[in-house]
Amino acid sequence: MKAIFAFFLLVLIAFLGSQFLFKRKKLFLPLSYFFLSGLIYVFLGLSLGKNGLNVLSSAVLEGLKPLISLGLGWVGFIFGFQLEYRYLRRFPQKYVELSLLQSLFVISLVVGAFGWLLRSLFPSEPSAILYGMAVALGLLLSLNSPSLLNFASSDISQKGNYFHLARFLVSVSGFWGIGGLALVASFWHFPFFEGNIFTRGLVLLLCSTIFPVFIAYAFHFLTIKKTSESDLLVYLLGLAFFASGTAAYFNLPSLYVCMVLGITYSNLTRIQEKLYPLILYTEKPFYIIFLILIGALWELNLDYKIALLAVILLILRTVGYSIPLRPFGKILRFSFPLPTLFGLCFLSSGGIAIAFIVSLKLIYPFPLIDVFVSVALIATILGELLSPWALKSSIIKLDTEK
Amino acid sequence: MNIIVLVVVFFFMLFLKSSSLAPLSNPNFSPSISLGFILIFAFLVGKIINRLKLPQITGFILAGIFCGPYILKFLSIGDVENLQLLDGLALSLIALTAGGEMRIAQLRKNMKAIFSILIFQTIIIIAGFVILGLLGRSFFPFFSEKTIAQGFALSILLGSLATATSPSTTIAVITETNAKGKYTDLILSTAVIKDFFVIAIFALSLSLSKFLAVSDKAFEAGVMTMVLREVGGSILLGSLVGLGIVLYLKFINREKAVFILGVAFFTYQISHSLGLHPLMICLVAGFLVENFSSRGDSLIQAIEKVSVPIYVVFFAISGASLNLEALRRSWVLALIFVVWRGVLKFSGTYVGAKIAKEDPGFQKRSWAGFISQAGVALGMAVIVERAFPEWGGEFKALVLAIIAINQVIGPVLLQRLLFKVDEAGKKQIDK
Repeated sequence: MKAIFAFFLLVLIAFLGSQFLFKRKKLFLPLSYFFLSGLIYVFLGLSLGKNGLNVLSSAVLEGLKPLISLGLGWVGFIFGFQLEYRYLRRFPQKYVELSLLQSLFVISLVVGAFGWLLRSLFPSEPSAILYGMAVALGLLLSLNSPSLLNFASSDISQKGNYFHLARFLVSVSGFWGIGGLALVASFWHFPFFEGNIFTRGLVLLLCSTIFPVFIAYAFHFLTIKKTSESDLLVYLLGLAFFASGTAAYFNLPSLYVCMVLGITYSNLTRIQEKLYPLILYTEKPFYIIFLILIGALWELNLDYKIALLAVILLILRTVGYSIPLRPFGKILRFSFPLPTLFGLCFLSSGGIAIAFIVSLKLIYPFPLIDVFVSVALIATILGELLSPWALKSSIIKLDTEK
Repeated sequence: MNIIVLVVVFFFMLFLKSSSLAPLSNPNFSPSISLGFILIFAFLVGKIINRLKLPQITGFILAGIFCGPYILKFLSIGDVENLQLLDGLALSLIALTAGGEMRIAQLRKNMKAIFSILIFQTIIIIAGFVILGLLGRSFFPFFSEKTIAQGFALSILLGSLATATSPSTTIAVITETNAKGKYTDLILSTAVIKDFFVIAIFALSLSLSKFLAVSDKAFEAGVMTMVLREVGGSILLGSLVGLGIVLYLKFINREKAVFILGVAFFTYQISHSLGLHPLMICLVAGFLVENFSSRGDSLIQAIEKVSVPIYVVFFAISGASLNLEALRRSWVLALIFVVWRGVLKFSGTYVGAKIAKEDPGFQKRSWAGFISQAGVALGMAVIVERAFPEWGGEFKALVLAIIAINQVIGPVLLQRLLFKVDEAGKKQIDK
């Protein structure tokens, strides 16, 4: 009975989506981006999970666990595949430097603020875990999603410097956050090393970087000759899944391993045009299923601490991206000013942030991890809700004024 | 290049699963690495096997057997069990495609041949196994250790199980070879309809066997009612699911891939909680969608577009699930039964096709399309094991061994047949 009800819930959401929401012209209406970005599926998952109808019970989720870790790998692969050097080198180097500076600033800000906050709110927890959580939240905040700008692209008639800079920054920022995740997962590997942390961590980091490069070469050799679309799809899924499954098996982040796989392959191959439609064809269904499963995994426990931390995290995101823009612009000698307002366009972190949250949940089975998941997911969702408005008030305004 | 990558990936997996790396690993994610590995490994094996003019799915199955719990142990029994849900989802998607391949007009045209083949295969196979059971009492300890009534019951059950053909394997070979034509239509339609028929025949055989083999048991009409409920319930639920898909395509028609995966998942869940057959439900649903929706074609094509990874996962897991221990213990007897089943399949198909006045070529050749066996036969063997605890375990082991052999040779025979009658590749030409 529950399954039937759940099924109708899925149909209802699809129906709502088809009738009202998947229309780009409504992008700037309140709540519409919440549907458009697919975040509604997290709530569908939540209602189907053990806190709701229990259709996606713990046993079912255990059976679907391979799909979750493979989904993470898929998100990482797609992200990495977009980081093609031939495309990126068209942008000035200072864009990359700005992206790095922004990420470092946001990470430091969150580590400082949350390191203190978490110790005050959870005094009985080991400080190593609390600092680890603060670092994880900092890395999370360094991620941005290009989806909103891509959706809004057709609605923005005047695409000036701000639009192009923002598009570049949100597209590459994930590299720093996911790279940071690999550092954390290697040097703070679970189960924890008892000694020789640096050497062992370095070995793990090297392995999680070299292994996907190796897989990417295998993929390249397999697809160097003319390959049919269906074969290409299996090679793609097979190798990405093998890489992400291996990462998950060794408690390393699938997101990072598959990002490296994506970067290496996209820079090796000459068949991007053939691969993009395939990726597009499989991306959305995968992503939606992934979001539903994540919602089902979410142990929602809303207390004042979580709500407070989520709001603070969102404030830090806004502040961290806005305040230092002027000095950064001056240090890097940008030809156009970088006003504080421009920082508002970095509120959306979308799918990549959700994948990051789940990666940590899968790697670290601490009791406090559910607090991290709730804080991070709530802040991400709030950020998504506000991001269309923020985009309208920042880039569109700035490019129009100019 | 395929071979080099295959070897490299293989040795890599060997290294990753080595005991020296075990302290660093998280066994909870063993199914993840296994699934990722089996997807690429089985596909590459399928490609290499295909060069030897064998069907790719034979390669997928062999790769599953090779990497499974009995040889290399890359997939443990626990991993295989953990992957059952994904396996079930893949089966539902395959069944939707199989149902979608059947068109009312074709069925009407072939109705006489389908039912004639179906009826004569069933009668001749069951009779043939009863004769083997009676004549073979002195040769096979499997029969001689039992009373005449038990031996008779066992023969009937073996016969009804031997009638089954795997629709999922049939559709996989047809999709892989892009086959189209009379043989393709008739073999697929018969295999699909036979699934419903076989379950009813099996229920009848089970009741009769209980009556014969257990002295104080009266003939159980209840089992028959239960099975009719299962078949009827599956058809009814399949119709509802099909209707739901038709309405969805008509009024919503968005996010089709997610919707179909949702259908497959919920069908799997509901069928398990109600004791129905997910395969049947999806076959009926696929049939309704194809025949009663103008957009059915596009939906079936959308599933077919991603069918290769689905087939790889499904057949590789099937291969890994095959019980090699059972095969090792009873391979001689299993081989005799496989050959005998083949002879009876030929006779049943020949008589059925002759009575339906099909051409002589069809009468002689089409048996090769009905050899493969998989899930339904396996499910029935489990039921027999529970119903007859004294010898059910031995019976199940024998059936598992028979299925293992049939599942390897069945796809090969069907592929050869489709090439021989020049139907392979015809679908691509039409497109």
